[in-house]
Amino acid sequence: MWPDVVIPLAVFAAGLIATIWLRRVAYNALERWAKKTKWQGDEILLQATRAPSILWCLILSSALALTVSPVPQHWKNWANKGLWTLLVISLALSAVNLVGKLVSLYAERLKATQRTIAISKNIANAVIYIVAILILLGIWGAPTTAIIFLIVLAAVVVLVAFRETLPNFLAGIQLNARGQFKVGDYIKLDTGEEGYIKEMNLTDTLIESPNESTTLLPNRKLIQATVTNYGHLMKKAKEPFRFFNRVHLTELTGLKAKNLKELADVLQNAPDSIIYYHTHHFLEEHHYLTPEPANDFAVWVSDALGDDVFGEKLANIDAFEFPTLSALRERIVNVIGEYISLEPELRRAPSGREFYFMKSVSVVMSTHYVARDLREFVEALRKLSLGSLYFHIFESRLRLGKPTNDFSVWLENSMGEPELAQEIARFDPYSYTLEGTRSQLMQLIEKHIK
Amino acid sequence: MKLSDYEPIIGRGAIEDLRSLASKLSGKVIQNVNSTFTGGGVAEILSRMVPLLSELGVDARWSVIKGDLAFFNVTKKLHNALHGSDEKISVQDISAFQETSRKNIKELELFGDIMFIHDPQPVALIERKKELGKEWVWRCHVDVSRPNETAWDFIKPWVMQYDAAVFSAPSFSTPLPMRQFLISPSIDPLSDKNRELSQDIIDSVLSKYGIPNDKPLIVQVSRFDYLKDPVGVIQAFKQVRRSIDCRLVLAGGTATDDPESGKVLAEVQDKAEGDRDIHVLLIPPGSDIEINALQRAATVVVQKSLKEGFGLTVSEALWKGKPVVASAVGGIPLQVKNKFTGLLSHGIEGTAYAIKQLLGNPEYGRWLGENGREHVKQNFLITRHVKDYMVLFLTLGHSEEVLYL
Repeated sequence: MWPDVVIPLAVFAAGLIATIWLRRVAYNALERWAKKTKWQGDEILLQATRAPSILWCLILSSALALTVSPVPQHWKNWANKGLWTLLVISLALSAVNLVGKLVSLYAERLKATQRTIAISKNIANAVIYIVAILILLGIWGAPTTAIIFLIVLAAVVVLVAFRETLPNFLAGIQLNARGQFKVGDYIKLDTGEEGYIKEMNLTDTLIESPNESTTLLPNRKLIQATVTNYGHLMKKAKEPFRFFNRVHLTELTGLKAKNLKELADVLQNAPDSIIYYHTHHFLEEHHYLTPEPANDFAVWVSDALGDDVFGEKLANIDAFEFPTLSALRERIVNVIGEYISLEPELRRAPSGREFYFMKSVSVVMSTHYVARDLREFVEALRKLSLGSLYFHIFESRLRLGKPTNDFSVWLENSMGEPELAQEIARFDPYSYTLEGTRSQLMQLIEKHIK
Repeated sequence: MKLSDYEPIIGRGAIEDLRSLASKLSGKVIQNVNSTFTGGGVAEILSRMVPLLSELGVDARWSVIKGDLAFFNVTKKLHNALHGSDEKISVQDISAFQETSRKNIKELELFGDIMFIHDPQPVALIERKKELGKEWVWRCHVDVSRPNETAWDFIKPWVMQYDAAVFSAPSFSTPLPMRQFLISPSIDPLSDKNRELSQDIIDSVLSKYGIPNDKPLIVQVSRFDYLKDPVGVIQAFKQVRRSIDCRLVLAGGTATDDPESGKVLAEVQDKAEGDRDIHVLLIPPGSDIEINALQRAATVVVQKSLKEGFGLTVSEALWKGKPVVASAVGGIPLQVKNKFTGLLSHGIEGTAYAIKQLLGNPEYGRWLGENGREHVKQNFLITRHVKDYMVLFLTLGHSEEVLYL
């Protein structure tokens, strides 16, 4: 009788020693591998399986002992089912432990909310428990077809219910795996959205745009769109730059001149706004033309008086060289005065083609564009209306009497970028169309950012 | 038409500008007053302008004054006289105008925060300014650069009481005690006269009028009037044809209120007699698509006016990307910047020379045409007109030249 007891016990003891030894060898190898990799998941895998693996050694040894045991076959069957049940339960609990820790690890990286983490863990746990129950039912010979059908049905219902969220969730995992973006990056989508990434979670990414609005982008959109990543958060301005827009209306003065003497007489005493209008309005009105027509005085002298030579001389007066409108006026009046002193016979404009003096009324309105750093500044510049660009470049300097354009003032005082400010102040916008000016300014700033 | 229909043409930014301006006018009622809901340029502009302003959220209304036949006969005379014609305005005319004006002053309901009075017919409504207050603007659509003094002296006492006046071209303004603004008229790019047409429609119109599409086509669209100088156009064309084979189309209508137009047409037909390259077309009123097709079929569009109000046919041609040769009169120099958006001329020889330049250098013509279209897009479309009106309304009551809103 004693061999009936001793042999199974011996097999059990030998099996246990062998599996425990194998477990130790395996864990030593795994630990060495884990140390070499940067992936934190391997540590979690080791921790989650270390204790249950002893139980698995016991189960395996018992199963081996049972095979050599002389107990009746139907007892062996019951005992095997018991061992398999124990193994499945222990594997399921280990899997729950492992998946929970992995979800926490990735959720932390993606800065997912607690709610998202809990939902993710619950979904994973439910799947593991369902699979375990199905296996157990199979072991104990219970019918599973109806249950599988119900589970598939439930899965379909869940998929339909989460059809919007699921692709975003998968995209979130993909984004994290790629490591393409991180919080603080300035991104721009080909669909128009742009801004700094403020938050990223498993389903959505929150960005803050230069117009101070925030947009919640579904992660799927980030995967599908062409996204330019401009990189890290930039140096912030002391005060943000708020862009204004300007529209204008032409005001008539009722004054006119039919020859150069009358032109000079009116200009001598005209308000600055008249000088400003006739030396600037063509920049906006004909901004699409290359080359642009010259100032109104030059065009009138060439077209209405038919004096191309003197018209050319007036066209060459560069408003950019003058710090104030008074200085510009003085120069125009002097140039005309010199010409009159040498020409005793003054040409006269045909009837109806006299020079009509005008000025403009500007209405200035705030826009939704705000820049707190150079990246936001250049992106706003890209999209501004030409009226807005005109206002900050031309109107601020000569009409509002600032020492230079608004952009340079902000770059120097708020951004602490005196070199860039100087470079933009030196740029002569009168030599470019408004679109050309926009492009040149953007290039200067982009170069500086790099 | 809806505002969104214009977005593909002028861009989102320009539509946003309109919306921003409109939001600043919230709570203000703009009351337009003129003499008729139908017929004439002012009614046509208001019928497009008022719905657009309303869509933007501006409370724009439109009222008309009442008048009998005698009153409108006087206002017709007044209109011509302000344009400079030598009309005789009798004492009876003056009393007919004053009597109807008195009735309108008494009976017309005036409720606007801004009273926008169009043209001379309702000008006397300003007499209620003392009682009602509000801002009053006189919108003058007439060329008053060289008015008949009697007519101008007659309406001037009323005009001078307004807070502001608006003219269509710089040359129309005159020294006045109040502020004056320049707001050019406009064309509607989506109207039948200006919308895109298929080549099939253009071909069918040419075929209808028996115009072979075999040579460069020079087109002038204008009613038959001495001031449009159709005979001068024929002379210029004949000079051009000496060196370049081409065709001329003179298309237009005759005005029922202009007894001379039939005579002008007869004279033009006489000059064109026997010349198979000259097509004189009498186009019935309302044939906007046909006018559009003829302008689009043109190689060069001419507007050789001797005197012109604003001359919107020039903007219509420029909008279609056509190189234009036009006289430097009225509002034309605003539309044609010489050698940039078209060519200006001063006589028959100059017109012929400019046409030859364009026929001989199609690339130059294309460049001018493209610039011209862009110029109209920026400055002479109805959306710019709406914007100017809103800026005007916002400016009223402010004397600053730079206004922060």
